[in-house]
Amino acid sequence: MEDIVLDIRGQICPACLLITLREINNSKLQLKRRETRLVVRTDHRDATRTIPGAVFAMGYDVNVVKKGGYYEITLEYKNG
Amino acid sequence: MAGMFRDIFLFKDYFKMRSLFLLVSLASVLLYLSRAFGLVASYPPSFFGPPSMANLLGGVIFGVGMVLAGGCMVGTLYKMGAGNLVSVFAFLGILCGGMLFAEFYPADMSFIKATTFLKSKTALEQIVGAMWMPVLALVLISCFCLYRWSRGKKLVQNAYAQRYLDPWKVAVIMAFIFSLSYVLSGRPLSVTKGYANLSARIEGLFSPRHMDNLPFFKEDSLRFFYGTTIKESVGSDINSLTITQIPLIVGIVLGSFFSSARLKEFKISDLPPWRQIFSAIVGGIMMAIGALMAGGCNLWHIIGGLPVFALQSILFVCGITLGAYMGSHILKRVVI
Repeated sequence: MEDIVLDIRGQICPACLLITLREINNSKLQLKRRETRLVVRTDHRDATRTIPGAVFAMGYDVNVVKKGGYYEITLEYKNG
Repeated sequence: MAGMFRDIFLFKDYFKMRSLFLLVSLASVLLYLSRAFGLVASYPPSFFGPPSMANLLGGVIFGVGMVLAGGCMVGTLYKMGAGNLVSVFAFLGILCGGMLFAEFYPADMSFIKATTFLKSKTALEQIVGAMWMPVLALVLISCFCLYRWSRGKKLVQNAYAQRYLDPWKVAVIMAFIFSLSYVLSGRPLSVTKGYANLSARIEGLFSPRHMDNLPFFKEDSLRFFYGTTIKESVGSDINSLTITQIPLIVGIVLGSFFSSARLKEFKISDLPPWRQIFSAIVGGIMMAIGALMAGGCNLWHIIGGLPVFALQSILFVCGITLGAYMGSHILKRVVI
């Protein structure tokens, strides 16, 4: 599975959530067919609440990992 | 606090607003009790004047500005302390906004004079007859809402950031800090004129003669300690702003810096897209102008004035709500 990497380090909310939602919309088909995952890199702490909260309801599994000075949020469309 | 208003209009997300409601309600009860036990002497607070349309208009301008800047005047400070460059641009915008406001301060004074109404009233209790009535109404509504929210687990949300503190816990801490500020100094915490003082100092470096001639930097004064007015200018080197608001501004930046450094998250961020830079500067300018027009920023009016039902603050909150709505649309359509 190929990853789409969205590096939005340096940006703050609501830009983080709006840009992520736009990318999900742009890559909707690939994400829903599970051909790809979306990996969001952010250093804005609040995005670790807003992004998972918003996309979970849209049917995505969310995994958040702290990497160095930033967080990596991986979004993958759920099976079924 | 910007997110509390903005997220309602952008994402229909009320999560943060619930914590703000808790903060205001708890602060209102604490201040009412402080007054009942004689800990707060000046009531209704003398530093809130009669309402004018400047409070409403200032609130609208401030609301648009805080959404465009990505944070309110305090939010800008702590994000800047963690190394975020968007907030550094917003901070510079706020300082420029203070200088711009000083240019049209006489016009603002004329506008306030022409649009002031209820000239002998400063707080809701002077209209309804007693402070306990609005406090009781707020307590009853709060108890009902908080019961429903806690049952529905709507006061907490999963967050994955290290050492994340739930907003409702921050609301409780802030309510006690603000009440303590009222008890100890007779006034709520504020940063607005501290920012204006910084603007005056910077303008004084480049154009001292022009700064000296601006009435805003010369004539304005600060009411302090139970309504006693200290005659001093916003632009002077040593005044009560130097010992109250400037340390608060510096303290927030340093606190954020040490906190982010401790979590190994401090980093001077990369430059954001130019639209966000422009938006942050414009937003900062608008926040400063709005706050100075309205007689205080969101910290002063929402956490300081709303719990005592100051009429100026009620108008400011109406304005900031409308402004946040407008700002959210601008942000979505033009900036991002």
